[in-house]
Amino acid sequence: MFEQTKQITVEGVVKEFQYSNPHSWLLVDVTDKNGKVTTWGFEAEGPSTLQRAGIRPSVFPAGTKVTMTGRPMKDGTPAAIWVLAVKDDGKKYDPRAGFAVK
Amino acid sequence: MKALSIVVTAVLLIGTALLVNTLRAQDTMQMRQRMIDLGKQHKTAESLYLALKEQARGGRRLTASSLPDWSGVYTRARGGITFDPDQPRGGPPTATLTPEFQTKLTKRIEDANNGIEWDPISTCSPPGHPRWLTEPFLRDFVVTPDQTYLINEMMNDIRRIYTDGRDHMDKADRYPLYNGDSIGFWDGDKLVIHTNQLREGIYQRRNPDYTDQVETVEIWQKTGPKLIEVDVWVYDPPALVEPWYTKQSYAKLDDQGKSLRIRFWHCGENQNNAVEETPSGGTQFKDFTFDGRGSGTGDRGSEEAGRGSSR
Repeated sequence: MFEQTKQITVEGVVKEFQYSNPHSWLLVDVTDKNGKVTTWGFEAEGPSTLQRAGIRPSVFPAGTKVTMTGRPMKDGTPAAIWVLAVKDDGKKYDPRAGFAVK
Repeated sequence: MKALSIVVTAVLLIGTALLVNTLRAQDTMQMRQRMIDLGKQHKTAESLYLALKEQARGGRRLTASSLPDWSGVYTRARGGITFDPDQPRGGPPTATLTPEFQTKLTKRIEDANNGIEWDPISTCSPPGHPRWLTEPFLRDFVVTPDQTYLINEMMNDIRRIYTDGRDHMDKADRYPLYNGDSIGFWDGDKLVIHTNQLREGIYQRRNPDYTDQVETVEIWQKTGPKLIEVDVWVYDPPALVEPWYTKQSYAKLDDQGKSLRIRFWHCGENQNNAVEETPSGGTQFKDFTFDGRGSGTGDRGSEEAGRGSSR
């Protein structure tokens, strides 16, 4: 369903953070140069893994500016596996860091 | 001269470290082979379990003052989501399968490589045992004198191990269960478990199937302050030519801020696999329509982007 090797990066504003099981979704509004807004969905792990990665609901309130990198859907729809989120202050959020054993 | 001394010392240190690592690896391989051989000495899981019980002289009953400390939040230490953590990276599962089940596995891997993959948990079925051993979430383990509760976060999936001396159900009264029926005994600080009465399932994605004749023997032991290791033998005559031995391990996680929680959740909280008809008659997926209906143009995106997919 998702590209295994390709990555995309988009800049946008958080519309909604669906902090849910088994997988979470960060919805991000991305505006193109013509002013058209497309909502991208970035899929990530469930809450307990996100929490261990330092990603809590309060980290991404609606309106947060964010640069998202992900592995996109093969069929071209605006959705991707969440690889990395970078907020305006430079902080980086990698959901899979929540699988680290430490 | 001083520089030469430093170089010689460094070479000696590196050489010693390599030697130690090599010896450790050899020890590990020899121990694994001994465990594989032990499994092969017994035709059934029950036979292995009874032999271990005899060796332990029936085992011992725990008391409130002799409980091992298995407290804390754990997660699988290695193996990702392959059943055998020692499976070579990119290689096939280490089980010796019967031809029928080898053919099934080969097709499953081929299909997965072509993007076609079906996982029974997609419709919210429990993983079931022995797959339970591999789930990549948080776990905790509760030891009491008469029962031990082995708990995985995914849907509060609990295995109950009865250590009060009871036996399994009579054969005539057995019926397939996701986590089966588990009895056990304590051999020192080792918990030995026999599980039968299981349902058929898969060991993991890209891993083999098991049948409802599958049975397991496990030896659980806390081998370090932050490590629980488990020797597992799986017996399943229709699928396995010989018992499949694996060593599973679970690492205790740092929780200094006491922020880790195991909470109930259900896999249906978001619709991983729902295909929904959109107002235009298509679905949220491009190029995927209901039979003969829908445009196939795909209406996924915008608000729908947060639903309908899984990784």
